[in-house]
This record gives sequence, structure tokens and C-alpha cells, in this order.
Amino acid sequence: MAESRMAFLIDTSRCIGCRSCQVACKQWNKLDADKTVNQGTYENPRDLTPNLYNRIRFIEKTDGDSFKWLFMNERCVHCGDAGCMKVCPSPGALYRTREGFIAFNAEKCIACKYCVSACPFGVPRYGADDKVSKCHLCFDRIGAGMFPACAKACPTQTLQYGPRSGLVAKAKAAKKTVYGEADLAGLGVLYLLDDKPEVYGLPANPSIPTAVFLWKDVLKPLGLIGFWGSIVGVLTHYITFGPRKLEEETSEKGGDAHG
Amino acid sequence: MGNYVERFNARERILHWVVMLSFFTLVFSGLGLYSRLFHGYFNLFGGGEAAIFIHKYMGVVFLVSSILLFLNHFREMNSFDEDDRRWFKLLGGYLDRDPEHINSGKFNAGQKAYGLFMGIATILLGVTGFISWFPTSFPIGIVRLSLLLHGTLFLIFIMFVIVHAYLTTIGNPGTLESMIYGSVRRIWAKKHHPKWYKEISGQEKSS
Repeated sequence: MAESRMAFLIDTSRCIGCRSCQVACKQWNKLDADKTVNQGTYENPRDLTPNLYNRIRFIEKTDGDSFKWLFMNERCVHCGDAGCMKVCPSPGALYRTREGFIAFNAEKCIACKYCVSACPFGVPRYGADDKVSKCHLCFDRIGAGMFPACAKACPTQTLQYGPRSGLVAKAKAAKKTVYGEADLAGLGVLYLLDDKPEVYGLPANPSIPTAVFLWKDVLKPLGLIGFWGSIVGVLTHYITFGPRKLEEETSEKGGDAHG
Repeated sequence: MGNYVERFNARERILHWVVMLSFFTLVFSGLGLYSRLFHGYFNLFGGGEAAIFIHKYMGVVFLVSSILLFLNHFREMNSFDEDDRRWFKLLGGYLDRDPEHINSGKFNAGQKAYGLFMGIATILLGVTGFISWFPTSFPIGIVRLSLLLHGTLFLIFIMFVIVHAYLTTIGNPGTLESMIYGSVRRIWAKKHHPKWYKEISGQEKSS
């Protein structure tokens, strides 16, 4: 994952909230529509679902009398150091593509749902088939030399796909808040934001959850030491201090034999 | 007066065997979930999904049987006297080739502490296991903590089990008989649990 790492740059200020990306994703990935209800906002659906890999978040900002929308394309951000991959017990269920994105193979998913709790962004969903689902960044299209469906459909070039280093340089040149450049070994989806990340519902300093770190990076090595240490410990005890033999019995038995 | 005295009745022995067999089933079905290092253990159950299925339901078997065993011995484990304090001070005499005499009851202080820990750990493993079973029904922070705690308790559990298995087999010859036949030799009882032996031999005389 070095020079060849590809990425998305999402320039939120260009987004007009048309949701072409949502539709294009559904169409390409053959995802069913979700039934929703009007809840007094144009944002629809209100959350990612097993059938919705990306969506536009509508943030309503009022400042005195003025009102404005902030639009943000919400999806898996394809962390360089990914919590989901760290906890996934089934090799190949979540895997990194050649471009550096994280795709999934439902056939290998064993439905433990660990990825759901390990994701710093709350992205993975489980559908009716009890298998993981999330944005896989159109690995199948990219593999065939095409653009990701959402980026292809975006009419305002909000979603830009290309080599990561180039997009990082471009984002920096815009003199706005660049999100995801270095966090979690660099996100595969970079954001250009007009406001603070929290306003968009993004964690300010995303990181691997502490409990996941303690489990995978502390408990696991300690566990190996603890397990083998216990085995070596009892065996060492056996040949040093030795077992508590029932000595009287052996002498009694001996006595019987001779008596 | 035979050479043997009863230590564990049939109910207690069956309970312990259920606890033990379900425990090892849980270990082998859960190892692959604990870390990818142990992915191969899933094959014992025919794959990860089957291992998870067995892990969940065997967890219920273990939870119930372990709590029953815990309750069965709770009164015998939940009191520590002067002799027990001495046991802790001398570490049961296990770090001594010619240990001092310790006047232990039916369970020595180490066994009591072990039994109490196992009971509490069983309940915590049950609670954290239940939360991890339905991860989307609980707040994400609680699920993360549950997974961590479940793994940590498992680790402490397995280390204690190794020591337990050693001390009840090759470490103290004659002990295993109490789990197989239920009775132990009188000299075993006199040596390891003199206070208990005095009690039961007193009962024998009076009856």
C-alpha cells in the first residue's frame, strides 16, 4: 500500500445533494430500495443500511436568520489501519484490494459482527442474510478499468477518484480542512470540509477503539505468554518441588507384601 | 471401615464433568474467535459459523452447570478461617519440598479462592457473552468492553484451569479418584484435608 494506493477525495463544498451517488451505487451493486418515511428532512434514508453503501448526509446549519445545508457523502472510509480487519476472525471475509480499499466476501463472513463494534466510524451493516455489507469501492469496476459507480455518476466532481498522493496534494492546495490524511494510517476516502469534522458527524481524531487495541495488541501477546507460562510453570513445579505423594501408603503396601 | 471415604457424590461428579466438557468445547470453538492465529480450530466444528453456533449454545450449558456447581459448594467455599490464612501465607506449602502441616477443611484456601473466582468469572463470561451474542442491540462501547472482558476472563480462566488440572492429577496423586469414583483413600484425606477427615470420621463413629 504505498505509491499505488488509490483514494477518493470528497470535496463537500461541491456537493449539491442530488444523491446520484446513492442511486448509481444501488444500480451497480443491485441493491434493493429501503422503505423510508418522511421525517421532515430531505435526507433520505436517514442512515446507512445493508442495502445502502453510501448516502448523502444533510446537515442543517442555522446561523441567525440564515440557513444552509452541508452535504456529506457518508460511507466506509477504507482506513489504512482498519479496526474491522483487525478483529475479523475469518481471513478473506474482509480483504484489502490492490488499490488499498477494503472489500468483503460474504461467503467467508461468519457473522460474528466483530467488525460492527470495531469500526471507528460505525459503518458495517448486517443484512437479512446475516453477512457483512458496506462500500467496497466498486472493486469489481476498478478491476475492469472503470470508475467507481458513485464517482462516475457524480455531476459536480464532488467525488474524485485517483492516486492517493495526488489527491492529498490537491486537497491541501484548496486551503480547507483536509480530513483523513494521516489518521488511521491514512484514510482511503479523504474529505475536504468547510467546517469542523464534528459538524459533519465525523470523529475529530478517529482511532482504533481502545478495547480493540487492548484485545488485539496487549491481551493476545500476554495470552500466549500466560498460557505457555502456566504449562511450563506446572511442569517445572513437578520436577523441582515434586508431587505430594502419599508416602504412608507405599510403606503400608510394602509392609503387606512382606507381611 | 473401608479404605475409602466419599468426597463428591454422583450429582457433584456429573456436574463437574458437564462443566469440564462444556468448558473445553467452548475453548476450542472460541479460540478462532479470540484470534486469527487459531483459525484452524474452526475446522473441528466444520467452519466458523458452526463454531459460533456451538459456542453460543454450549455457553448456556456451561453457564448453568457451572453456576449449579458453584452454588452446590458455595457454603463450603465462602468461609476463610485461621488455617486458611496460614495456607495463603505458606502458599499451600507448594513452594517447599517438605511442607509444614496445614489443617485444611474439605477445601483448602486455594481451592476456595479458585472456586469463588470461577463462579464470579462464569457469571461475567455469561453476561459479556450474551452482549456479544447480540452486538447490535447494545451500545457500541458496551459491546467493545464485553469482547475485551470476555477474552481477558477466558485467559485468566484457562491459566487457572491448567494449574487446577495439574494439582488434581499428577501434582497430588490420589486426587483424581474423587472425580471418577467419588471416594478418596483415607490417607489422602488425612494428608490433604485433615480437618475435614476428622469431621467425617467423627460422624462415622457417632452413627
